[in-house]
Amino acid sequence: MSGDLFGLIPWTIESPFSSSYVVSPSGDVEIIVWICIAIAVYSAFRVIVEPDVMRKLPFLNVFSFSISGIIALLIPQPLGIIAAVAYFVGSTFESNAIASTWAGGVED
Amino acid sequence: MNEFLLLPFFLIIIAGSLYAGLARDPYVKIIAISITGGAIMPLIIMRGYLDVASALAVIIPLSTVFLLQLFKKGVV
Amino acid sequence: MTMLFLQIAFAALCCWFLFITVDMICGLPRNGGVCGATAIAKAIEKGGGNINGGTMMGNIVSSPDASAGTLLAACGVYCFGIPGGLIATILVYIGNRICYDPGYAGTTGCFIATFMVYGGTLIGIPAECFIAGMVIAILTIQGISHRNSSKLLGWIWRLFR
Repeated sequence: MSGDLFGLIPWTIESPFSSSYVVSPSGDVEIIVWICIAIAVYSAFRVIVEPDVMRKLPFLNVFSFSISGIIALLIPQPLGIIAAVAYFVGSTFESNAIASTWAGGVED
Repeated sequence: MNEFLLLPFFLIIIAGSLYAGLARDPYVKIIAISITGGAIMPLIIMRGYLDVASALAVIIPLSTVFLLQLFKKGVV
Repeated sequence: MTMLFLQIAFAALCCWFLFITVDMICGLPRNGGVCGATAIAKAIEKGGGNINGGTMMGNIVSSPDASAGTLLAACGVYCFGIPGGLIATILVYIGNRICYDPGYAGTTGCFIATFMVYGGTLIGIPAECFIAGMVIAILTIQGISHRNSSKLLGWIWRLFR
């Protein structure tokens, strides 16, 4: 598969990710995918840098918001909604479990 | 598929895995593996395997919850 | 290109106001909720924040609330139109029950946001701008400075009381 590096330099890459099922986002959607990727990288960096354990969890939440958005943007078909919601609910459930286990569990 | 979309995810996966290996606190290790798993998901989606991605999105957090049941007070 | 950034900025403002309003109406900053949310709230208060703002941020982390509902409604409308948004509402309701949350903040937010995003597409703002706008809105609340945003949320909660 060949592509141009932002239209300036001709650059040819053969890769296994060129599939006939998934088309690459084009035009405006690609800029929005890059915005979400930038926010994901920034929030992953903030998770690593933050010293307190419980304060890492809101940054992890921002990360999972952006990954859910990326999943939904890559697949503009109905099954994309299910994949995005499944990832988001799973990530939220996991954060909830981490926070409540750290706090000592549900006191009955 | 535009391959330059993939490079930031590789960065996050490497950074998350290194952080998981180097951190001391077990809760921090779980958070770092969660970041790594989250960055793997778009790579699976880009290949077209939506059902594999949905199954992984359910299995990884469930495994983490079962792992957390080992972390009662005084065990770790 | 500037038109796109203006659309994203407008969508971000709409999403920000929507999810803050629905969360305040559903009483998320009230004390004494989920165990994990109070742990995060105490950690934020120790760092110099407001306890009510911290409780709201803890509730956003622990369970799908109106912010998650808005994002998933935008994803639903992008993928499949209004039926997609309604499917997302049902899935967010199931997600709320999975996370042991007895409230309806996520479902309400998703339902209202479906029609907001569809109205946006009629005006001329495509649905993907709402996805980016919602991610930017949650970044401003939870991703820049916990102390300042918890103080802002505490101030808004005092206005609502």
